[in-house]
Amino acid sequence: MTTKRLIFTLLYDSGSFMLSRNFRLQRVGNLKWLEENYGFGKVGSAIDELIVLDVSRQPRNIERFCEDLKLLTLDCFAPIAAGGGVRSVDHARLLLRSGADKVVVNSAIYDQPELVEILGKEFGAQCIVASIDCEQNNGMFVATKKNSFEMTNHTLADTIKICARLPIGEIYLNSIARDGTGNGLHLEILDHLPANLTTPLILMGGVGNSKHIVEGLRDSRVDAVATANLLNFMGDGLSRARRNAINEGIDLANFD
Amino acid sequence: MADRAVVIVDYGMGNLWSVASAVKHLGFEPIVSSDLESISTADTLILPGVGSFNRAMQTIRSSEIDKAIGEALHANEAKLLGICLGMQLLGKSSTEDGFSDGLGLVDNEVKKITSVSDQQVKIPNIGFREVQADEEMKIFGGLETRSQFYFVHSFCMQILDDRSKYAIAHHGQTFVAAIESGRVFGTQFHPEKSQKNGLKVLQNFLNL
Repeated sequence: MTTKRLIFTLLYDSGSFMLSRNFRLQRVGNLKWLEENYGFGKVGSAIDELIVLDVSRQPRNIERFCEDLKLLTLDCFAPIAAGGGVRSVDHARLLLRSGADKVVVNSAIYDQPELVEILGKEFGAQCIVASIDCEQNNGMFVATKKNSFEMTNHTLADTIKICARLPIGEIYLNSIARDGTGNGLHLEILDHLPANLTTPLILMGGVGNSKHIVEGLRDSRVDAVATANLLNFMGDGLSRARRNAINEGIDLANFD
Repeated sequence: MADRAVVIVDYGMGNLWSVASAVKHLGFEPIVSSDLESISTADTLILPGVGSFNRAMQTIRSSEIDKAIGEALHANEAKLLGICLGMQLLGKSSTEDGFSDGLGLVDNEVKKITSVSDQQVKIPNIGFREVQADEEMKIFGGLETRSQFYFVHSFCMQILDDRSKYAIAHHGQTFVAAIESGRVFGTQFHPEKSQKNGLKVLQNFLNL
Protein backbone atom coordinates (compact mmCIF):
# COMPACT_ATOMS: atom_id res chain seq x y z
CA MET A 1 0.00 0.00 0.00
CA THR A 2 1.27 3.45 -0.81
CA THR A 3 1.44 6.30 1.62
CA LYS A 4 -1.66 8.51 1.55
CA ARG A 5 -1.92 12.28 1.72
CA LEU A 6 -3.65 14.93 3.78
CA ILE A 7 -4.31 18.11 1.82
CA PHE A 8 -5.52 21.54 2.83
CA THR A 9 -7.42 23.72 0.40
CA LEU A 10 -7.50 27.50 0.57
CA LEU A 11 -10.28 29.34 -1.22
CA TYR A 12 -9.23 32.80 -2.29
CA ASP A 13 -11.46 35.68 -3.32
CA SER A 14 -9.90 39.08 -4.06
CA GLY A 15 -7.36 39.14 -1.24
CA SER A 16 -9.41 37.17 1.27
CA PHE A 17 -9.59 33.54 2.30
CA MET A 18 -13.07 32.13 2.34
CA LEU A 19 -15.20 29.53 3.99
CA SER A 20 -17.45 27.76 1.54
CA ARG A 21 -20.71 26.05 2.33
CA ASN A 22 -22.37 24.36 -0.63
CA PHE A 23 -20.25 26.76 -2.70
CA ARG A 24 -21.64 29.87 -0.99
CA LEU A 25 -18.71 31.90 0.26
CA GLN A 26 -18.09 33.72 3.49
CA ARG A 27 -15.00 35.82 4.11
CA VAL A 28 -12.81 34.66 6.99
CA GLY A 29 -9.53 36.54 6.83
CA ASN A 30 -6.61 37.86 4.82
CA LEU A 31 -3.03 36.65 4.45
CA LYS A 32 -2.14 38.01 7.88
CA TRP A 33 -5.02 36.10 9.47
CA LEU A 34 -3.89 32.96 7.69
CA GLU A 35 -0.32 33.38 8.89
CA GLU A 36 -1.48 33.89 12.48
CA ASN A 37 -3.84 30.94 12.52
CA TYR A 38 -2.08 28.43 10.31
CA GLY A 39 1.43 29.59 9.43
CA PHE A 40 1.99 27.52 6.30
CA GLY A 41 5.31 29.28 5.93
CA LYS A 42 6.82 26.96 8.49
CA VAL A 43 8.98 24.00 7.74
CA GLY A 44 7.40 20.82 9.00
CA SER A 45 3.79 21.76 8.58
CA ALA A 46 1.19 19.08 9.10
CA ILE A 47 -0.08 18.72 5.57
CA ASP A 48 1.30 16.89 2.54
CA GLU A 49 0.06 19.48 0.09
CA LEU A 50 -1.72 22.77 -0.24
CA ILE A 51 -4.29 23.60 -2.91
CA VAL A 52 -5.02 27.28 -3.45
CA LEU A 53 -8.00 28.17 -5.60
CA ASP A 54 -9.03 31.58 -6.84
CA VAL A 55 -12.79 31.29 -6.54
CA SER A 56 -13.41 35.03 -6.87
CA ARG A 57 -17.00 35.75 -7.72
CA GLN A 58 -16.04 39.10 -9.22
CA PRO A 59 -13.82 39.07 -12.33
CA ARG A 60 -10.55 37.51 -11.29
CA ASN A 61 -7.38 39.56 -10.93
CA ILE A 62 -4.78 36.96 -11.89
CA GLU A 63 -1.76 39.16 -11.15
CA ARG A 64 -2.96 39.96 -7.66
CA PHE A 65 -3.72 36.31 -6.96
CA CYS A 66 -0.21 35.37 -8.07
CA GLU A 67 1.36 38.08 -5.90
CA ASP A 68 -0.56 36.77 -2.89
CA LEU A 69 0.36 33.20 -3.84
CA LYS A 70 4.02 34.20 -3.75
CA LEU A 71 3.64 35.67 -0.27
CA LEU A 72 1.69 32.66 0.91
CA THR A 73 4.20 30.12 -0.40
CA LEU A 74 7.34 31.90 0.74
CA ASP A 75 9.12 29.47 3.09
CA CYS A 76 6.39 26.87 2.57
CA PHE A 77 8.20 23.70 1.55
CA ALA A 78 5.20 21.59 0.69
CA PRO A 79 3.77 21.02 -2.79
CA ILE A 80 1.28 23.60 -3.97
CA ALA A 81 -1.42 23.27 -6.58
CA ALA A 82 -3.15 26.43 -7.74
CA GLY A 83 -5.96 27.26 -10.07
CA GLY A 84 -9.28 28.93 -10.57
CA GLY A 85 -10.27 30.29 -13.96
CA VAL A 86 -7.24 28.96 -15.84
CA ARG A 87 -7.99 29.71 -19.51
CA SER A 88 -4.56 29.99 -21.12
CA VAL A 89 -1.04 28.59 -21.07
CA ASP A 90 0.29 31.97 -19.94
CA HIS A 91 -2.05 31.96 -16.96
CA ALA A 92 -0.85 28.48 -15.97
CA ARG A 93 2.78 29.51 -16.42
CA LEU A 94 2.28 32.56 -14.22
CA LEU A 95 0.89 30.30 -11.46
CA LEU A 96 3.89 27.97 -11.80
CA ARG A 97 6.19 30.96 -11.50
CA SER A 98 4.42 32.20 -8.38
CA GLY A 99 4.86 29.19 -6.13
CA ALA A 100 2.57 26.60 -7.69
CA ASP A 101 3.88 23.18 -8.65
CA LYS A 102 0.65 22.01 -10.20
CA VAL A 103 -2.22 23.67 -12.00
CA VAL A 104 -5.85 22.93 -11.19
CA VAL A 105 -8.36 22.97 -14.05
CA ASN A 106 -12.12 22.67 -13.82
CA SER A 107 -14.31 24.38 -16.45
CA ALA A 108 -11.56 23.93 -19.07
CA ILE A 109 -12.13 20.14 -18.93
CA TYR A 110 -15.53 20.69 -20.53
CA ASP A 111 -15.10 23.98 -22.40
CA GLN A 112 -11.47 23.94 -23.52
CA PRO A 113 -10.16 20.36 -23.54
CA GLU A 114 -7.61 21.49 -26.15
CA LEU A 115 -6.09 23.84 -23.55
CA VAL A 116 -5.72 20.91 -21.12
CA GLU A 117 -3.95 19.01 -23.95
CA ILE A 118 -1.51 21.88 -24.44
CA LEU A 119 -0.91 22.28 -20.69
CA GLY A 120 -0.06 18.57 -20.51
CA LYS A 121 2.39 18.86 -23.40
CA GLU A 122 3.96 21.95 -21.92
CA PHE A 123 4.15 21.01 -18.23
CA GLY A 124 3.53 17.25 -18.16
CA ALA A 125 0.41 15.39 -17.05
CA GLN A 126 1.72 15.13 -13.47
CA CYS A 127 1.29 18.90 -13.27
CA ILE A 128 -2.42 18.95 -14.13
CA VAL A 129 -5.09 18.41 -11.48
CA ALA A 130 -8.67 17.96 -12.69
CA SER A 131 -11.13 19.42 -10.22
CA ILE A 132 -14.59 17.86 -10.55
CA ASP A 133 -17.48 19.38 -8.59
CA CYS A 134 -20.47 17.06 -8.43
CA GLU A 135 -24.10 17.59 -7.65
CA GLN A 136 -26.31 14.67 -6.71
CA ASN A 137 -29.39 14.50 -8.90
CA ASN A 138 -31.87 11.58 -8.79
CA GLY A 139 -29.23 9.22 -7.50
CA MET A 140 -26.76 10.30 -10.20
CA PHE A 141 -23.70 12.47 -9.70
CA VAL A 142 -23.56 15.21 -12.32
CA ALA A 143 -20.52 17.42 -12.88
CA THR A 144 -20.86 21.19 -12.66
CA LYS A 145 -18.58 23.97 -13.85
CA LYS A 146 -17.87 27.68 -13.31
CA ASN A 147 -17.76 27.48 -9.50
CA SER A 148 -20.74 25.10 -9.71
CA PHE A 149 -22.95 27.81 -11.21
CA GLU A 150 -23.53 25.74 -14.34
CA MET A 151 -24.43 22.09 -14.70
CA THR A 152 -22.66 20.14 -17.41
CA ASN A 153 -24.45 17.31 -19.15
CA HIS A 154 -21.85 14.84 -17.94
CA THR A 155 -22.22 12.35 -15.15
CA LEU A 156 -19.23 11.78 -12.90
CA ALA A 157 -18.43 8.56 -14.77
CA ASP A 158 -18.53 10.40 -18.13
CA THR A 159 -16.28 13.13 -16.75
CA ILE A 160 -13.76 10.56 -15.59
CA LYS A 161 -13.77 9.16 -19.14
CA ILE A 162 -13.12 12.66 -20.54
CA CYS A 163 -10.27 13.06 -18.06
CA ALA A 164 -8.80 9.70 -19.07
CA ARG A 165 -8.34 11.03 -22.62
CA LEU A 166 -6.62 14.18 -21.35
CA PRO A 167 -3.18 14.59 -19.79
CA ILE A 168 -4.36 14.68 -16.20
CA GLY A 169 -2.33 13.61 -13.20
CA GLU A 170 -4.89 13.73 -10.43
CA ILE A 171 -8.63 13.85 -9.88
CA TYR A 172 -9.79 16.26 -7.18
CA LEU A 173 -13.39 15.33 -6.47
CA ASN A 174 -15.79 17.48 -4.48
CA SER A 175 -19.40 16.91 -3.49
CA ILE A 176 -21.34 20.16 -3.56
CA ALA A 177 -23.97 18.83 -1.15
CA ARG A 178 -21.33 18.10 1.48
CA ASP A 179 -19.05 21.06 0.75
CA GLY A 180 -18.38 22.99 3.94
CA THR A 181 -21.02 21.14 5.97
CA GLY A 182 -18.60 19.32 8.24
CA ASN A 183 -20.94 16.32 8.10
CA GLY A 184 -18.36 13.92 6.73
CA LEU A 185 -17.16 12.96 3.26
CA HIS A 186 -19.65 11.80 0.65
CA LEU A 187 -18.22 8.27 0.40
CA GLU A 188 -21.17 7.12 -1.70
CA ILE A 189 -19.71 9.15 -4.58
CA LEU A 190 -16.87 6.62 -4.79
CA ASP A 191 -19.31 3.95 -6.00
CA HIS A 192 -19.87 6.08 -9.09
CA LEU A 193 -16.22 5.95 -10.13
CA PRO A 194 -14.95 3.33 -12.58
CA ALA A 195 -13.44 0.39 -10.70
CA ASN A 196 -10.19 0.54 -12.65
CA LEU A 197 -9.39 4.23 -12.08
CA THR A 198 -5.62 4.52 -12.40
CA THR A 199 -5.38 8.24 -11.69
CA PRO A 200 -4.75 9.24 -8.08
CA LEU A 201 -7.91 10.49 -6.36
CA ILE A 202 -8.25 13.35 -3.89
CA LEU A 203 -11.63 13.39 -2.16
CA MET A 204 -13.05 16.45 -0.49
CA GLY A 205 -16.29 17.97 0.70
CA GLY A 206 -17.66 17.49 4.19
CA VAL A 207 -14.60 17.03 6.40
CA GLY A 208 -15.36 18.54 9.79
CA ASN A 209 -13.02 16.64 12.05
CA SER A 210 -10.16 14.17 12.09
CA LYS A 211 -12.54 11.20 12.19
CA HIS A 212 -13.82 12.16 8.75
CA ILE A 213 -10.26 12.30 7.45
CA VAL A 214 -9.64 8.78 8.73
CA GLU A 215 -12.89 7.52 7.16
CA GLY A 216 -11.85 8.84 3.77
CA LEU A 217 -8.24 7.70 3.86
CA ARG A 218 -9.25 4.23 5.02
CA ASP A 219 -11.09 3.65 1.73
CA SER A 220 -8.77 1.92 -0.76
CA ARG A 221 -10.11 4.05 -3.63
CA VAL A 222 -8.99 7.28 -1.98
CA ASP A 223 -5.38 8.43 -2.27
CA ALA A 224 -5.77 11.73 -0.48
CA VAL A 225 -8.34 13.62 1.54
CA ALA A 226 -8.62 17.38 1.33
CA THR A 227 -10.43 19.84 3.54
CA ALA A 228 -11.10 23.53 3.05
CA ASN A 229 -12.62 23.89 6.48
CA LEU A 230 -10.83 27.07 7.50
CA LEU A 231 -12.28 27.25 11.01
CA ASN A 232 -12.16 23.67 12.30
CA PHE A 233 -8.40 23.14 12.02
CA MET A 234 -6.96 26.40 13.30
CA GLY A 235 -3.85 26.43 15.45
CA ASP A 236 -2.45 22.91 15.71
CA GLY A 237 -5.69 21.34 14.42
CA LEU A 238 -4.07 19.93 11.29
CA SER A 239 -1.13 18.44 13.26
CA ARG A 240 -3.53 16.79 15.67
CA ALA A 241 -5.66 15.45 12.83
CA ARG A 242 -2.57 14.01 11.17
CA ARG A 243 -1.30 12.38 14.36
CA ASN A 244 -4.75 10.96 15.02
CA ALA A 245 -4.91 9.42 11.54
CA ILE A 246 -1.46 7.87 11.98
CA ASN A 247 -2.54 6.48 15.37
CA GLU A 248 -5.61 5.01 13.69
CA GLY A 249 -3.30 3.08 11.39
CA ILE A 250 -3.46 5.30 8.31
CA ASP A 251 -0.24 5.28 6.30
CA LEU A 252 0.76 8.96 6.20
CA ALA A 253 4.29 10.36 6.06
CA ASN A 254 5.46 11.19 9.54
CA PHE A 255 6.61 14.80 9.86
CA ASP A 256 7.32 14.75 13.61
CA MET B 1 29.88 36.12 -8.81
CA ALA B 2 29.35 35.81 -5.07
CA ASP B 3 30.36 32.55 -3.40
CA ARG B 4 26.90 31.75 -2.26
CA ALA B 5 25.31 32.38 -5.64
CA VAL B 6 23.26 29.53 -7.01
CA VAL B 7 22.16 29.69 -10.62
CA ILE B 8 18.73 28.14 -11.14
CA VAL B 9 18.50 27.35 -14.82
CA ASP B 10 15.36 28.83 -16.35
CA TYR B 11 14.32 26.99 -19.49
CA GLY B 12 10.74 28.22 -19.18
CA MET B 13 9.24 25.20 -17.50
CA GLY B 14 10.28 24.73 -13.89
CA ASN B 15 8.67 25.52 -10.57
CA LEU B 16 11.31 28.19 -10.25
CA TRP B 17 9.85 30.20 -7.42
CA SER B 18 9.72 27.18 -5.09
CA VAL B 19 13.31 26.21 -5.75
CA ALA B 20 14.54 29.79 -5.42
CA SER B 21 12.59 30.19 -2.20
CA ALA B 22 14.20 27.09 -0.68
CA VAL B 23 17.71 28.18 -1.73
CA LYS B 24 17.14 31.59 -0.18
CA HIS B 25 15.77 30.05 3.00
CA LEU B 26 19.06 28.14 3.35
CA GLY B 27 21.04 31.37 3.22
CA PHE B 28 22.22 31.21 -0.39
CA GLU B 29 21.55 33.63 -3.20
CA PRO B 30 19.31 32.21 -5.93
CA ILE B 31 19.77 33.63 -9.42
CA VAL B 32 17.04 32.45 -11.77
CA SER B 33 18.54 32.76 -15.21
CA SER B 34 18.48 31.63 -18.81
CA ASP B 35 21.53 33.73 -19.62
CA LEU B 36 24.25 31.52 -21.15
CA GLU B 37 27.09 33.55 -19.63
CA SER B 38 25.62 33.27 -16.10
CA ILE B 39 25.08 29.53 -16.53
CA SER B 40 28.49 28.74 -18.02
CA THR B 41 30.38 30.68 -15.33
CA ALA B 42 28.36 29.39 -12.36
CA ASP B 43 29.89 27.34 -9.55
CA THR B 44 26.57 25.91 -8.47
CA LEU B 45 23.76 25.03 -10.85
CA ILE B 46 20.28 23.74 -10.21
CA LEU B 47 18.22 22.35 -13.08
CA PRO B 48 14.65 22.28 -11.80
CA GLY B 49 11.81 20.62 -13.55
CA VAL B 50 8.12 20.44 -14.01
CA GLY B 51 7.20 19.50 -17.53
CA SER B 52 7.62 17.19 -20.45
CA PHE B 53 11.07 15.78 -21.24
CA ASN B 54 10.70 16.20 -24.97
CA ARG B 55 9.66 19.83 -24.76
CA ALA B 56 12.34 20.61 -22.19
CA MET B 57 15.14 19.15 -24.34
CA GLN B 58 13.95 21.05 -27.41
CA THR B 59 14.12 24.32 -25.47
CA ILE B 60 17.43 23.49 -23.84
CA ARG B 61 19.05 22.60 -27.18
CA SER B 62 17.63 25.46 -29.22
CA SER B 63 18.73 27.98 -26.59
CA GLU B 64 22.13 26.23 -26.22
CA ILE B 65 21.64 25.89 -22.48
CA ASP B 66 23.03 22.35 -22.84
CA LYS B 67 26.36 23.76 -24.02
CA ALA B 68 26.46 26.34 -21.23
CA ILE B 69 25.84 23.63 -18.63
CA GLY B 70 28.58 21.48 -20.18
CA GLU B 71 31.00 24.41 -20.04
CA ALA B 72 30.22 25.09 -16.39
CA LEU B 73 30.81 21.44 -15.52
CA HIS B 74 34.02 20.98 -17.48
CA ALA B 75 35.76 24.34 -17.57
CA ASN B 76 34.50 25.58 -14.25
CA GLU B 77 34.15 22.32 -12.27
CA ALA B 78 30.71 23.42 -11.24
CA LYS B 79 28.37 21.18 -9.30
CA LEU B 80 24.94 20.49 -10.68
CA LEU B 81 21.70 19.29 -9.12
CA GLY B 82 18.83 18.18 -11.35
CA ILE B 83 15.45 18.03 -9.66
CA CYS B 84 12.59 15.79 -10.84
CA LEU B 85 12.44 16.33 -14.61
CA GLY B 86 15.80 18.06 -14.17
CA MET B 87 17.29 14.77 -12.94
CA GLN B 88 15.73 12.87 -15.83
CA LEU B 89 17.23 15.37 -18.29
CA LEU B 90 20.69 14.38 -17.01
CA GLY B 91 20.04 10.92 -18.44
CA LYS B 92 20.73 9.39 -21.82
CA SER B 93 17.19 9.42 -23.20
CA SER B 94 13.49 9.34 -22.41
CA THR B 95 10.43 7.82 -24.04
CA GLU B 96 8.15 10.62 -22.82
CA ASP B 97 6.26 12.19 -25.80
CA GLY B 98 8.17 10.04 -28.27
CA PHE B 99 11.88 9.35 -27.96
CA SER B 100 14.34 12.10 -27.10
CA ASP B 101 17.98 12.22 -26.19
CA GLY B 102 18.85 13.76 -22.85
CA LEU B 103 21.93 15.68 -21.75
CA GLY B 104 23.76 12.36 -21.37
CA LEU B 105 25.63 13.36 -18.20
CA VAL B 106 24.71 9.92 -16.83
CA ASP B 107 23.93 6.85 -18.97
CA ASN B 108 20.58 5.95 -17.42
CA GLU B 109 17.45 5.88 -19.51
CA VAL B 110 14.05 7.28 -18.54
CA LYS B 111 10.90 5.25 -19.13
CA LYS B 112 7.27 5.23 -18.03
CA ILE B 113 6.69 3.72 -14.58
CA THR B 114 5.55 0.11 -15.02
CA SER B 115 4.31 -2.35 -12.45
CA VAL B 116 6.46 -5.45 -12.26
CA SER B 117 3.72 -7.40 -10.47
CA ASP B 118 0.07 -8.07 -11.38
CA GLN B 119 -0.97 -5.33 -9.03
CA GLN B 120 -1.81 -2.13 -10.87
CA VAL B 121 -0.32 1.07 -9.50
CA LYS B 122 -1.67 4.55 -9.89
CA ILE B 123 0.26 6.89 -12.12
CA PRO B 124 1.61 9.52 -11.52
CA ASN B 125 3.37 8.36 -8.41
CA ILE B 126 2.43 11.16 -6.00
CA GLY B 127 3.25 11.64 -2.37
CA PHE B 128 5.89 10.93 0.22
CA ARG B 129 7.83 7.72 -0.44
CA GLU B 130 10.62 6.04 1.44
CA VAL B 131 14.06 6.40 -0.10
CA GLN B 132 16.96 4.02 0.48
CA ALA B 133 20.21 5.82 -0.14
CA ASP B 134 23.71 4.49 -0.64
CA GLU B 135 25.44 5.50 2.58
CA GLU B 136 28.25 7.17 0.67
CA MET B 137 25.97 9.63 -1.07
CA LYS B 138 26.96 13.10 0.02
CA ILE B 139 23.55 14.71 -0.32
CA PHE B 140 21.95 12.33 2.21
CA GLY B 141 24.46 13.17 4.98
CA GLY B 142 22.82 13.53 8.39
CA LEU B 143 19.57 11.87 7.33
CA GLU B 144 18.21 8.54 8.45
CA THR B 145 18.77 5.67 5.98
CA ARG B 146 15.09 5.39 5.10
CA SER B 147 13.84 8.94 4.99
CA GLN B 148 10.72 10.03 3.14
CA PHE B 149 10.60 12.53 0.32
CA TYR B 150 7.89 13.97 -1.93
CA PHE B 151 7.56 12.54 -5.45
CA VAL B 152 5.34 13.48 -8.35
CA HIS B 153 6.22 11.75 -11.63
CA SER B 154 4.95 9.38 -14.31
CA PHE B 155 8.34 8.55 -15.81
CA CYS B 156 11.34 7.27 -13.93
CA MET B 157 15.04 6.77 -14.37
CA GLN B 158 16.10 3.15 -14.70
CA ILE B 159 18.87 1.82 -12.50
CA LEU B 160 22.03 1.01 -14.39
CA ASP B 161 24.95 -0.86 -12.95
CA ASP B 162 27.65 1.72 -13.47
CA ARG B 163 29.83 4.03 -11.47
CA SER B 164 27.04 6.28 -10.23
CA LYS B 165 25.83 6.08 -6.67
CA TYR B 166 22.11 5.63 -6.20
CA ALA B 167 19.24 6.12 -3.83
CA ILE B 168 16.24 4.02 -4.78
CA ALA B 169 12.50 4.09 -4.22
CA HIS B 170 9.61 1.84 -5.24
CA HIS B 171 6.29 2.38 -6.95
CA GLY B 172 5.29 -0.55 -9.11
CA GLN B 173 8.98 -0.94 -9.87
CA THR B 174 12.28 0.10 -8.33
CA PHE B 175 13.68 3.31 -9.76
CA VAL B 176 16.35 5.94 -9.20
CA ALA B 177 15.27 8.30 -6.43
CA ALA B 178 18.61 10.11 -6.46
CA ILE B 179 21.88 9.81 -8.34
CA GLU B 180 25.43 11.01 -7.78
CA SER B 181 28.11 10.91 -10.44
CA GLY B 182 31.12 13.08 -9.65
CA ARG B 183 29.88 16.66 -9.44
CA VAL B 184 26.55 15.78 -11.04
CA PHE B 185 23.63 15.08 -8.71
CA GLY B 186 19.96 14.45 -9.28
CA THR B 187 16.86 13.80 -7.23
CA GLN B 188 13.61 12.43 -8.64
CA PHE B 189 11.87 13.74 -5.54
CA HIS B 190 11.42 17.43 -4.88
CA PRO B 191 13.79 18.49 -2.07
CA GLU B 192 12.13 21.92 -2.10
CA LYS B 193 8.79 20.23 -1.37
CA SER B 194 9.87 17.59 1.13
CA GLN B 195 9.86 19.76 4.21
CA LYS B 196 12.73 19.17 6.68
CA ASN B 197 14.25 16.16 4.91
CA GLY B 198 14.25 17.91 1.57
CA LEU B 199 15.86 21.06 2.89
CA LYS B 200 18.59 18.92 4.42
CA VAL B 201 19.36 17.33 1.04
CA LEU B 202 19.43 20.73 -0.61
CA GLN B 203 21.64 22.13 2.12
CA ASN B 204 24.03 19.18 1.79
CA PHE B 205 24.31 19.84 -1.93
CA LEU B 206 24.82 23.59 -1.53
CA ASN B 207 27.49 23.06 1.12
CA LEU B 208 29.57 20.65 -0.98
